[in-house]
Amino acid sequence: MQIAAMWDLFVTGILRGGLYALMAVGLALLLGVMNISSFMHGELYMIGAYMGWFAFVTLGLNPILAILFAAVGSFIVGMVIERGFFYPLRRRSKEGWLLNAYLVTVGLSFVLQNAALAIFRPIYRGIRTYWTGSIRISPAMSISADRVMGFLVAVVTIVAFWLFMRGTKIGRAIRAVAQDERGAMLVGIELDRIHTLSFGLSSMLAGIAGASLLSINPAYPSMGLLPLAKSWLVVILAGLGNIRGAIIGGFIVGIAEAASYYFLGAGWQDVTSVTMLIIILLFKPSGLFGTEVKGILER
Amino acid sequence: MEGKVLEVSNVNSGYGHLQVLWEVSLKVSEGEFLALLGPNGAGKTTLLRTVAGVLQPWAGEVRFMGEPIGNLPVHQITRMGLSFITEDLNLFEAMTVRENLLLGAYIRRDKRVKDSLDYVLHLFPVLAERRNQLAGTLSGGERKMLALGRGLMSEPRLLLVDEPSLGLAPKLVQSVFEALLELKRRGVTILLVEQNVSASLQIADRGCVLEQGRIVLEGKSVDLLGNEHVKEAYLGIGGAS
Repeated sequence: MQIAAMWDLFVTGILRGGLYALMAVGLALLLGVMNISSFMHGELYMIGAYMGWFAFVTLGLNPILAILFAAVGSFIVGMVIERGFFYPLRRRSKEGWLLNAYLVTVGLSFVLQNAALAIFRPIYRGIRTYWTGSIRISPAMSISADRVMGFLVAVVTIVAFWLFMRGTKIGRAIRAVAQDERGAMLVGIELDRIHTLSFGLSSMLAGIAGASLLSINPAYPSMGLLPLAKSWLVVILAGLGNIRGAIIGGFIVGIAEAASYYFLGAGWQDVTSVTMLIIILLFKPSGLFGTEVKGILER
Repeated sequence: MEGKVLEVSNVNSGYGHLQVLWEVSLKVSEGEFLALLGPNGAGKTTLLRTVAGVLQPWAGEVRFMGEPIGNLPVHQITRMGLSFITEDLNLFEAMTVRENLLLGAYIRRDKRVKDSLDYVLHLFPVLAERRNQLAGTLSGGERKMLALGRGLMSEPRLLLVDEPSLGLAPKLVQSVFEALLELKRRGVTILLVEQNVSASLQIADRGCVLEQGRIVLEGKSVDLLGNEHVKEAYLGIGGAS
């Protein structure tokens, strides 16, 4: 195998991995803090894509502002959904939260998809590029500026999120809730607020992913299915509710898929990643980074 | 009722259909150290949980700093200045000692959190040594110290401590009690629940004995230490000969 091909494979994998990591971190956050197995994460991605499209095409904002618009919009949508559906559910259900919350996400996923279909009709709303031109990274290879920027957005977002969770008081409070709810209440943390905030953040991460990849994946009502499946794959691979693992797992899956693209040919990447999933479930069901310690960043 | 930090009057409480506390009343004054004693299953922990808001009283009234708190959620009661150190400690195991302590000061908005951190680390030197270690890796005694330290970080008006000696080696029990004694010297108001009757009464100002969900005895520590019932049932001395 040539060096150039290796390099090509690595770069493609990393670019893919950035997106997977972004989606998976949001899922892991919901699992860790609220114990929700979300099946509407793809629809949050879809909402982000439509918002990015609206801001870029309709409002004519510059790309960074369009992605920021989608981020803020998705954050608000996430908080509204939490207040409107999960908050009342939590007040009423003492037992069976896991199943009930899961069913609500499935229901919301249908509703949001069909609402998008009714409002935006089955038309692809895409853009050609956010950024034109390409960046030459080696004599044999150049990547479109759009992909590079998409990756940078993912990396900046993940780093910012990580610093927020590690270094701020609210970030610490979110981790505290994930580790010990009783303890968190006893130090004076208001669980309801942390839950709403976490849902908003998770939604924001998915929205950023959707908006920043608009030139590759145009906005469409059912566009969320594949990202949903992929992010679940990453989360299971990494260990449920583990944020650090979700980031690393995103890149592992991205690189594995790029490798299968190279060695096995196009169309085999999903087979590769699902095979990895089956192997993990057979031999280490707690996930690659899953341990007994409770927590979302540290687990 | 001036100077009363906590007033519990005629409180009934329990879990589901099971009533545990029957008409329990007690008071804790500013700066006082009250020990709540009694056998296993008497309802000591239930009383603390009811005061801290983990459980709601079925009847009766709980007042903290003169305000009724019977129906407030836990985090609001904490914000009023009550700190509850539970039996299972509820530490954030995957965070460092320092992060746990900082979370103890979560409700504070002033700039002197750093001073409190220094104060707690000075009070419990083992925590200073292990400040960057994960809480889950601490030994039993260190965990109790961390829970006490975290409870102090909010500068509480009242500290509820549930069974700090439980599951500790005798030497560590002694150091936990020394820590409590030190807190008392510094003027912290404490309500301690313990099974270790003689040790508790040696450091507490007053004691209450809870049996089968009712307060059966109440008085100054010295008087309780000399009380026949206490001697016989808890200290294993004397009795009807």
